Amino acid sequence: MQTTADGTFLHVNRTFCSWVGYERAALIGQRRFQELLTMGGRIFHQTHWNPLLQMQGSISEVKLDVVHRDGTKIPMVLNALRHDNRGIVVDELAAYVARDRDKYEQELLLSRKKLESLVAEATRLQAEAKDRALFAEQMVGIVSHDLRNPLSAIAMGVAILGRSELFGNQQRVANRISRATERATRLIADLLDFTQARSGRGLSVTRATIDLHEVVADALDELGQVYPSRALTHVRTGVGPCSADASRLAQLVGNLVSNAMTHGAPDQPVTVSSSLLQDSFSIAVHNYGAPIPVESQGKIFEAMTRGAGAPASGRSVGLGLFIVREIARRHGGTAEVESSAELGTTFRVTFPRLPAALDDEGPT
Amino acid sequence: MSVQVRNNVHVSGSGRLTMLFAHGFGCDQNMWRLLAPAFAARYRCVLFDLVGSGGSELSAYEPKKYGSLQGYADDVLEIAREFGEGKIIFVGHSVSAMIGMLANLKAPELFAAQVMVGPSPCYINDEGYVGGFSRADIESLLETLESNYLGWSSNMAPAIMGAPEQPELAVELTNSFCRTDPEIARQFARVTFLSDVRAELPRLHAPTLILQCSDDLIAPVAVGEYMVRVLPRATLSVVENVGHCPHLSAPSASAHAIDAFLRHEGI
Repeated sequence: MQTTADGTFLHVNRTFCSWVGYERAALIGQRRFQELLTMGGRIFHQTHWNPLLQMQGSISEVKLDVVHRDGTKIPMVLNALRHDNRGIVVDELAAYVARDRDKYEQELLLSRKKLESLVAEATRLQAEAKDRALFAEQMVGIVSHDLRNPLSAIAMGVAILGRSELFGNQQRVANRISRATERATRLIADLLDFTQARSGRGLSVTRATIDLHEVVADALDELGQVYPSRALTHVRTGVGPCSADASRLAQLVGNLVSNAMTHGAPDQPVTVSSSLLQDSFSIAVHNYGAPIPVESQGKIFEAMTRGAGAPASGRSVGLGLFIVREIARRHGGTAEVESSAELGTTFRVTFPRLPAALDDEGPT
Repeated sequence: MSVQVRNNVHVSGSGRLTMLFAHGFGCDQNMWRLLAPAFAARYRCVLFDLVGSGGSELSAYEPKKYGSLQGYADDVLEIAREFGEGKIIFVGHSVSAMIGMLANLKAPELFAAQVMVGPSPCYINDEGYVGGFSRADIESLLETLESNYLGWSSNMAPAIMGAPEQPELAVELTNSFCRTDPEIARQFARVTFLSDVRAELPRLHAPTLILQCSDDLIAPVAVGEYMVRVLPRATLSVVENVGHCPHLSAPSASAHAIDAFLRHEGI
């Protein structure tokens, strides 16, 4: 079709007339093209269409709703070319009906909106989860720290009681208190270490030159007092110094022995072996009794996994072995488990034997 | 980011006073290329693009800042202070006429006069006021902008059909003119067509020219007549023409009207 500069129809073909439901005579010289648009289209015609035609002389692929005589809207794609013949302006327009393109655009827009809201929701949930996790971890750290004092008061109190003469049941009760306090103290230490390990700083480890067998022996002395009725053996192999954090090793021994006492056969000994080899040293703790199921062995060093069938009094939060593995890792070593019905269960932690020059401090 | 980059500022001409041209909703500073040259010999001419339009820096668009006309007015003041020499005659088309008014109200000492081309302080009809549109009409506009999404995405430049009839137009002009980010266009449309600054009109004491076409859908003559009644110091000049852009469709008549106004006001 053709129009004047102000939009009045000069020429229009039958096809367009049939699309919009107007007779030729009703359009030519009678109506302006923009009158066939929606109000939005008419505004757009003034703010975009006209200036474009004015400035660049052509318009390509603008989609507008053209309104049929009966009021229905027909999406059309329009192209226009302006001819200026010495001041006489004639605009040539070509239009085609674009229902499919319209549908596609609508779907595209809808999908985009859906996607945007999903992403926003996911981001919000993620932020919430992160907040919760951080709060929980901080809480664990704070509570554990605060529990230390009361527990050490209990431990000291029961030790003082133990020094005086005890009658009848009292000794047994005192021992039970002592054991429970020891377990609680160990749990708190594990929780604090767990928080530290998770905080990104990692478990603190200060290496020094130590005598491995002495360190293990000291740890076993203390443990013997906690489990006075149980057999606890120490096997030493190899000689010489090595480089490690003595208190962490003691903690490691404590965790493994405590587990062995809890889960192992109560009438059989727990054996702790400390070994020094050419390029490595290791600590192994063995107990007899029901084996660890094969399915559990792979995950056993993960935090929060509990031993199946552990007696209620020996139930642990499941951090002990996680800490053991962390201590091993921070020394550059590994932690492994072997368990079978015939041979019992052995936890072995192996460390590289590093030269003393790599100590964090001088010899202890 | 410098103001020059943010608003794609171009300076030409020279004179005692500065003419600051602000395009309206729709396209960019190229709208002035038929009118501005008439003044370049006598005035320092500063042209720019509103943030979100034309060659402006799209990354500078902040929905919060540009969610009101004051955001644009603050940019105008920055441009005026950095690029203006002597007092400023602000020439604003459509909604930019109102932006100029807001800038003027904030810093009246910077401005010598306001030329409002096709202005409207409020597009939606109100009790006792004819703006020209109903709320539903504006919704229809926003719908139109949304449904032509593909056409306005910055990845699809409108191609040229045949050779433009005006050979002096540079080729790079044709593919960026009127092209903008569809989301920004939609937001700017909201800000423009839902704006209502009628209450500010009585406070504008600068000499003001209202220049409009006789048959303008967007700024009907009734609005021009309303404005000239309410503005303290205003003149209305109607150009016999159809459309919303007298500076494009009738540039010499527009230039004459502006010159006559400036002469009359002794500027």
